[in-house]
Amino acid sequence: MISLNNLVVEFGAGAGAVRAVDGVSLEVASGEVYGLVGESGCGKSTVLRVLAGLNASYRGEVRLGGQALPQKRDKTFHKQVQMVFQDPYGSLHPRQSVNTQLMEPILIHQLDNAHTRITGALESVGLSQDFRFRYPHELSGGQRQRIAIARVLVLEPEVLLLDEPTSALDVSVQAEVLNLLADLREARGLTYLLVSHDLGVVAHMCERLAVMERGRIVEEMSRDRLVQADVQHPYTKRLLEASDALGEGRAVVEAGR
Amino acid sequence: MQEKLLEVEDLTVSFGRGKFRVVDGVSFTLGREKLGIVGESGSGKSMTGKAVLRLLPGGATLEAKRLQHQEVDLLTADERQMRDIRGRRISMILQDPKYSLNPVVRVGEQIAEACRLHQHVSGQEAAERAVEMLAAVQIREPKRVFDLYPHEISGGMGQRVMIAMMLVTEPSILIADEPTSALDVTVRYEILQLLDGLVSRSNLGVVFISHDLNLVRRFCDRVIIMYAGRIVEALAADRLEDAEHPYTRGLLAAVPRIHAPRRRLQVLTRDPLWMEAPGVRAP
Repeated sequence: MISLNNLVVEFGAGAGAVRAVDGVSLEVASGEVYGLVGESGCGKSTVLRVLAGLNASYRGEVRLGGQALPQKRDKTFHKQVQMVFQDPYGSLHPRQSVNTQLMEPILIHQLDNAHTRITGALESVGLSQDFRFRYPHELSGGQRQRIAIARVLVLEPEVLLLDEPTSALDVSVQAEVLNLLADLREARGLTYLLVSHDLGVVAHMCERLAVMERGRIVEEMSRDRLVQADVQHPYTKRLLEASDALGEGRAVVEAGR
Repeated sequence: MQEKLLEVEDLTVSFGRGKFRVVDGVSFTLGREKLGIVGESGSGKSMTGKAVLRLLPGGATLEAKRLQHQEVDLLTADERQMRDIRGRRISMILQDPKYSLNPVVRVGEQIAEACRLHQHVSGQEAAERAVEMLAAVQIREPKRVFDLYPHEISGGMGQRVMIAMMLVTEPSILIADEPTSALDVTVRYEILQLLDGLVSRSNLGVVFISHDLNLVRRFCDRVIIMYAGRIVEALAADRLEDAEHPYTRGLLAAVPRIHAPRRRLQVLTRDPLWMEAPGVRAP
């Protein structure tokens, strides 16, 4: 569904240029959930922004459904591929009602049946129709993220790019949103590319994942290998060790304490 | 019975003349130990930490039966006494070093300033102690880092500087409010190990405020779980598995696990009764 071939993104020019993404290649199959893991500054979000068309200055090839995409994406692309951002406090317009914000993609893409689309989208994220006429400040963090997801679903896209979709949320709310994303994927056969710094979230959601460090993919693996801690690259090992030491830990770690 | 560094009894923080109680009858004591306070956003955990230092936002009312730090009654202490306590006897580390360091002052100066103000030593001696402290928080070239500005250092290094600044005055209590939440997981691990080492060496009492139950159980000796301004459960960190309150159990179950994935994450069903039940007194 998605394929990246030798993607390079540089910020700045000349000697001071920073290579944020340094030759990233990956393939995401249709209907798959693929995770991109790494720490701040590793380039994971930049990869996602290039894919979404938010950063047009890159080198390398981006393909969607087998077709190479132009640097400047067209409307049909944006109908197929949509992005959900980390912070629902920042991604929703504070002065517009939910209805207005759900209307916007419909107007941009000149779609019909606005009413059915909006009610349908709210229903699929588990919110009642009352929410249409509320403003973001009247919603909790979890509800805001549901609205952000509903806004994306209005267009009935095939691919969702998820940039840390739950890291601004409390764990109990995170569980609700992750379950919702899993249900939506099952019901609609969506493809997800999920960026996260949380190995727990990635192990829960993704079938395959890539670990990024300093703009490169250092290791690609299946979920099973992560679950069994069968990782090769020293950086992945370090990441997993730190996550285990601070998280639920493995039996081995437990015994060591 | 070990020495009590801090005794909090029936602490209440409210807004709008007692109408909205964000902290509602919280009682606990702190010895020379690491006490974790865990809760989700809005549970009142940060307010509890700030109330101890009487650093509440305007409009907040603080009430308590007792708020005692050794011989000082924090409820009746005047502003001058409080200034002497804040930073010297009770220090606080906040979440994001980007906001808690002064952006236009060299980091070494900031540590030296804490030392000069509270310990009345000469400028030169304060600077020397600052360099020692930078070395103690495992910064490799303390002399070079001394002269850097906050924007020139990474988040992890910023938090090391904060820790250095808070410990240079040799306080007896450290309140750490989400000290590692803004950091990457590998850096977080390093900082916690560092903090753990420093804390056990200087034998002080730590209040560790966090939303991350798993992290707190690894770091602390005891854990208090807060919900809607109350303590719903208090137990030893290594006995968290035996937690009885449905909220604590729900929180533990909601966390996605790396090595034990489940098909669905358990979702917390909040019982309105939790907000009415009287809070637990933590020993």
